[in-house]
Amino acid sequence: MNKIAKLFVTFISAITLALVSFTSSFAKVEGEYIVLGSAISLTGKYSSNGVHTQNGYNMAVERINKMGGVEVQGKKYKFEIIYYDDESNPKRAAQLAERLIKQDGVHYMLGPYSSGLTKAIAPVTEKYKIPMVEANGASRSLFTKGYKYLFAVLSPANQYLEVAIDLAVEKNGGKGVKIAQAFEQDAFSQDVRLGILDAAKRTGSEIIIDDKLPKELNDMAATLAKVKAVKPDVLVVSGHTKGALTAIRQISEMKVDVPMLAMTHCDAAKLSKQHGKKSEFALCASQWHKNLSYKDKFFGSGKKYAKDFQKEFGYDPPYQSAESSAALLVFKDAFERANSFDRDAVRDALVDTEMQTFYGNIKFGPGGQNVAKPMILFQVRCKGDDCENRVVAPTKWASDKFYHPIPKWSERS
Amino acid sequence: MEKVKQKDLILYSGLIILGLAAPYLFSAFKVQLTYLCVLIVLAMTWNLQGGEMGYNTFGNILFYGLGMYLTASVQVGMFFPLAEWTESGGEKTFVHTTAQYFQGIGVGLLVAAIIPTIIAGAIGYAILGLRGHYFAICTLGLGIAAGEIAGGIEIIGAGQGFTTPPFPAEIVDTEARGKFFYFLSFALLVGTFIFVKYIYGSRFRLILNAIRDNEDKAEAMGIQTMKYKIVGWMCSAFFCGLAGGIMGGLIGYIDSTDVAFDGREMGVFMVLMAILGGKGTLWGPVIGATLFHFFKEGLWTLILGWQYVALGVLIVVIVVYFPEGLMGWLREKYPERFGEVIDEKDRKAQVELK
Repeated sequence: MNKIAKLFVTFISAITLALVSFTSSFAKVEGEYIVLGSAISLTGKYSSNGVHTQNGYNMAVERINKMGGVEVQGKKYKFEIIYYDDESNPKRAAQLAERLIKQDGVHYMLGPYSSGLTKAIAPVTEKYKIPMVEANGASRSLFTKGYKYLFAVLSPANQYLEVAIDLAVEKNGGKGVKIAQAFEQDAFSQDVRLGILDAAKRTGSEIIIDDKLPKELNDMAATLAKVKAVKPDVLVVSGHTKGALTAIRQISEMKVDVPMLAMTHCDAAKLSKQHGKKSEFALCASQWHKNLSYKDKFFGSGKKYAKDFQKEFGYDPPYQSAESSAALLVFKDAFERANSFDRDAVRDALVDTEMQTFYGNIKFGPGGQNVAKPMILFQVRCKGDDCENRVVAPTKWASDKFYHPIPKWSERS
Repeated sequence: MEKVKQKDLILYSGLIILGLAAPYLFSAFKVQLTYLCVLIVLAMTWNLQGGEMGYNTFGNILFYGLGMYLTASVQVGMFFPLAEWTESGGEKTFVHTTAQYFQGIGVGLLVAAIIPTIIAGAIGYAILGLRGHYFAICTLGLGIAAGEIAGGIEIIGAGQGFTTPPFPAEIVDTEARGKFFYFLSFALLVGTFIFVKYIYGSRFRLILNAIRDNEDKAEAMGIQTMKYKIVGWMCSAFFCGLAGGIMGGLIGYIDSTDVAFDGREMGVFMVLMAILGGKGTLWGPVIGATLFHFFKEGLWTLILGWQYVALGVLIVVIVVYFPEGLMGWLREKYPERFGEVIDEKDRKAQVELK
């Protein structure tokens, strides 16, 4: 025991030394850099969207830095981001937020990917009074908790597919429709579901299938079998990227005929590329589309953003990237208006944000959500084997007519 | 004998002083230290089954998750309508006063200790008749099932998750929350350690070992193995429930499968930590958990994207080179330091026998 005890004491003291030497922390503003922190899902179930988010952040950082950076009190600063991988796990995200703030000394945060992780980080940033501009947490419950330091550049999740139900009802001659729905068991998708429930009540529609999908989503055949049997007017599916991919794969495999298919995350899943004609006619909710007519001086128009993004990362930007880039523009704007690095001054400046970016207008409501930007719907349409997303609602930006109903599989080539 | 005890005393008081001083010495690391305490508790309690009793359980995560949900539910439910708090969409926000917060978490932790213990008794009665792999697979199912079930119960937030009450705003010191949870978890760690150490000196441990080494023989000798197996599991459940309750409050957001019934991470980690340190020893899980936590916190972020590969390599290295864990390896190398008497003649005799 004697020697073991000694060994143990040595071990402990080694750790102590290691810890002490680690405690050197960064400053919020270091030299000419404004250091932002972000926990991002680089691995785990949200990894593809996590990367979209990170690419969006990086693209904006690079662009803003190249175009002169952020001017505060006459001095030019550049943005820099410290990233950690939260492994798509809320527990890890909360811990990393704490680490960014306490150990890395970050004073301004960028959001993680997904509502669940934002929900886990928000209490931490709130406790330390750290302003967080997030671009990927849409759950309505984020904006009703009275958070003062949380700002979201996106529209709340319950608005995602409400419009789709309205469209279906309109096509049905104003009468209520029969809705089949399947949602992943996570904060975001459950919120989309609430939006549908509201819309159903409002329009007198009936929900005939209401299924829950597991988080590691790769099979929804049970739901689809039911859909085949009861023939609803609309099928609504939400389960992030995997949900969209699984739905299209299995609908085409099982040849499920449904007049209207509404989903989320089609563009993040690169649906039109991955599944081509199989995904045609799918209706998708989106925060942004490149054909929208918003503009700013950093990225120009949505189309130009898409082109630059394509050049940089080799794929068409999904809205997750666009909104993430917008978050940086919001921060830059707030820093310059606050003309200070005082956290509360920056926070107050964020509250007063009212600006246009290539991604859309941004103005924060009392809960922190963006109230100045509508959701849009697009539909996957194909010419030959070449498929793309075309905006069908709202009418202001619609480039195409909404195609309804979806032809039966037996009639599709 | 007296001398050894004195050495122990120095060691323990040193560790306790270090533990008490840690949040002040390493102020920025409070959350990680809290995690460490909880991880050690989980590894030590897992060791009671996996190490001492020879029953590899993946089910302890069930009690951890239950404790988490119970503490949060009681903390909210004592003062406000729980259904409205967790209502998806979260239209209403209630604010706990300082007194309500601490009363709530106190009662919550009490419930989080008792109910999982009872459930462990009930489930144990049903499944502890299974042995070996069958028991392991069965308990693996428990955690997964619990996660899916919790994800469907509206009153605890279902798939939306459960935001636990925020630390009272009246306490302006931003360090207070970290300290509170650290000391809570440290107290739990000390309690667990004392309890496990007590078990190590008792007949109870010998019975558990007998079950591990040969259950049929143990039964033939008149030991009611079922009874002891259940009691052993209930002990683990008690501490796991408390650990879960503390973690829930610390994380601030409970998700059914990713935070509470997190079998994929916590559930595997507790097994890994105990094996890394050496199962079936008192200090093994403590050392294993500490090393693992440092490995995770230190290297994880340096190898972004590859951390799970590194973890995989670590597991392979442990299993191949330290199948008995660090403590087991040390014991093999320096048996005399573990109080084992080696008789050279005896050793030679054994070699000859082969």
